[in-house]
Amino acid sequence: MGTANFVLFGVCAFFALAGAVTTVAAQRPLRAAVALLVNIISLAGLYLTLSAHLLAAIQLLVYAGAVVVLFIFVIMLIGPAAEVKGKGEGLPGRTLAIAIMTMVTGTIAFSLVDAAGNWLALRSNPDFGTVEALGAELYSRALVPFEIVSITLLVAIVGAVAIARHRTEGEITEAKAVHAKAVEVREEAKAEAEAAAKATA
Amino acid sequence: MNAWIAISPLLLLVGGGLLVMLVDAFTKERNDLATVTAATLFLSAGVSLFALLSGKDPVDVPEVFGAFLATDRLGLFFDVAIGLGGGLSALLAGGYLREHGLERGEFYVLVIFSAFGAMVLARATDMLTLFVGLETMSLGVYALAGFRRGSPRSIEGALKYFLLGSFAAAILLFGSALIYAATTHTDFAGIGATVAAGDADIKLLLMGLLLVLVGLAFKVSAVPFHMWTPDVYEGAPTPATTFMSVVVKAAAFAVFVRVVITAFGDDLSASSAGGWPPILAGLAVVTMVYGNLAAVGQTSIKRMLAYSSIAHAGYLLVGMAAASVVGEKAISAVLFYLMAYTVSNVLAFGSLILMGSRGREAVSFDDLAGVGRRHPLAALPMVIGVLTLMGFPPTAGFFGKYYVFSAAVEAGGGFVWLAILGVLASAIGAFYYLRVIVAMFMKDPVPGEPVAVPMRSGSVTAALVISGLLVMDMGLMPGSMLDLAIAAAEQLFAG
Amino acid sequence: MFETYLPVFLMIGVASAVALGMFLATTLAGPKKPSPEKNLPYESGSNTTGANHIRLSVKFYLTAILFVVFDIEAVFLYPWGGMFRDLGWFGFVEMLLFLVILGVTLVYAWKKGALEWEK
Repeated sequence: MGTANFVLFGVCAFFALAGAVTTVAAQRPLRAAVALLVNIISLAGLYLTLSAHLLAAIQLLVYAGAVVVLFIFVIMLIGPAAEVKGKGEGLPGRTLAIAIMTMVTGTIAFSLVDAAGNWLALRSNPDFGTVEALGAELYSRALVPFEIVSITLLVAIVGAVAIARHRTEGEITEAKAVHAKAVEVREEAKAEAEAAAKATA
Repeated sequence: MNAWIAISPLLLLVGGGLLVMLVDAFTKERNDLATVTAATLFLSAGVSLFALLSGKDPVDVPEVFGAFLATDRLGLFFDVAIGLGGGLSALLAGGYLREHGLERGEFYVLVIFSAFGAMVLARATDMLTLFVGLETMSLGVYALAGFRRGSPRSIEGALKYFLLGSFAAAILLFGSALIYAATTHTDFAGIGATVAAGDADIKLLLMGLLLVLVGLAFKVSAVPFHMWTPDVYEGAPTPATTFMSVVVKAAAFAVFVRVVITAFGDDLSASSAGGWPPILAGLAVVTMVYGNLAAVGQTSIKRMLAYSSIAHAGYLLVGMAAASVVGEKAISAVLFYLMAYTVSNVLAFGSLILMGSRGREAVSFDDLAGVGRRHPLAALPMVIGVLTLMGFPPTAGFFGKYYVFSAAVEAGGGFVWLAILGVLASAIGAFYYLRVIVAMFMKDPVPGEPVAVPMRSGSVTAALVISGLLVMDMGLMPGSMLDLAIAAAEQLFAG
Repeated sequence: MFETYLPVFLMIGVASAVALGMFLATTLAGPKKPSPEKNLPYESGSNTTGANHIRLSVKFYLTAILFVVFDIEAVFLYPWGGMFRDLGWFGFVEMLLFLVILGVTLVYAWKKGALEWEK
């Protein structure tokens, strides 16, 4: 690995990590989405250091260009409710989660360092990851998974239509009943609070 | 046999699915969609069954299939299970959706293409097809779980399933990346060959295997990766729950079998000291115990059936663990069990659908109080359904359990204890399954509470009759189905 | 590797330098006389009302997801286009199948009204 490549790797890795940590830690969902964008763009840089040109381009086109936009739409869709803070896990839960994560990440990191020579040899081929090389793999050898991907995309669209389009009459009745119940509960709570306020006064 | 015949169940589903989409898009009257969907799925199952029974294997399989999609008997066997389970769920949906005013064509499109994804998953011989198939199946099922948009429970279940499911898929993908790093192969046969030759990086490989197992354990809802199951099963519209519990489970176990036998069937990964057998045995123990104990306290039958499906995943894992010693016998037992579970579960969920009508859906034990005396004929399928889930002879469920546990006993050593634990757990199971029958025949409805009124629907009745006959057929003459399972397992170990 | 993309990195560097420089220059050089009115968020000159978060309609989501899916479809066309001559008729039929399946999906979404805005 040349020095320039190493610098590129270092810079991208730093921003990728920083972006990832901010995504998880941010209180406001919109900030998390922007931090995710930083992470995604840095990952594209990391793909470049691995000579995966097309993958880097796709990462920018699809993830940075489209998926983050979708995230932001969804955050806006949920509205202010997206900012409600959860209570989070208690101390034992957190400790357990951190312990497990450290164990898993540690094991993976150590074994990766050990095995690095093994799989770095894979990309001795200079054409690895170019548009042509990937095209040749995808459209001649991996033809079957490629065709199945069209069905995956189909299911994604039909699923989206199923959950976001018009409601049937049965669903509307059900939703109305649920709404009425929610209003009733809220009214009751309000009445109770008023009664309690009166009692203290 | 031509290789195209072996792959035709998949092509049939794509063709039928596109047809259903066009019919749904261009016609206002959509009364026949359930029938068309069920017919497509049954046709696909029928073609696979025909190919299996013909006893011939495909010749000159083109390279492009061979590397990514299996054309073997195991694949065909699961095509039968998935086609049958999916088709019966579509028939149930035909009655249920109309009764509850939820009829929208998207449901059937999603059912067909999720079943397609499940078949791809069951035939996957490469991590690539595994992931693509898994996502195709799961995306459809997430939408099916949230199909009942007016119900917060349905939405909550779908969201939980989606978030946890995506997380599990990511873990699985990470695991397969590590396996690739360890072996430089993504195809199961290549992974197996590299590991057997001693060229793989063992630490990395085991880490990868562990993560892949976590991802798969989530899909089959093994404890401790089961948290989503009760909420999702309860919230989803009942035909979607049926689909999830039979099709998704069958496909996930199919790929489970392929991964552990083809990719990790070597002496090291399959040794009783390390590798997957002790992991699976441990999962089996906690899954059986937890699933059965948690089912006891439930008041909702749908939730009880969700925990029962967790418990059944535990019994199946006993068979999977035993496969490290008595390979063919254990795998054929698992295959038979899955087929039996498919028809039994359709029968149980289908009877639950039959018990309810618009605005009076039967959900809890109380809803069923006294139904057996008021409507004895409608209660019959439910009785058979719980008996077969319980493993009562002479039903399909009995032989499923019998084969799995006898395979474990034959494996010897610690597996005998697994079998004993399995039998004890089934005894706990008998308690909550029999509670259904007690509620239907010996309880009286609480005065003033709404009572369940069975609905009338030709397609639900048809689904119940088909699954009921199959349950009894596999219970009285398990031989023919077991032969198919044995042939599939033999081919898996030979090739 | 790095050399191939040198122009891109130069471009990124210059663009960020210009953007940051403008911010820095105005912060350093501009006069600062804050007043309550000036510190209000700017909303076309009129007084701001309500929270800064409004709830978007679910229609946006549907449009966005359709965009993402067809974007992915387009991405698959790039490497195919690069290999078109080498793949020949085989590749053509293969891509045709892919596009037909997604074409049916588009027709479905269209007829289901997923592309309609008013409704």
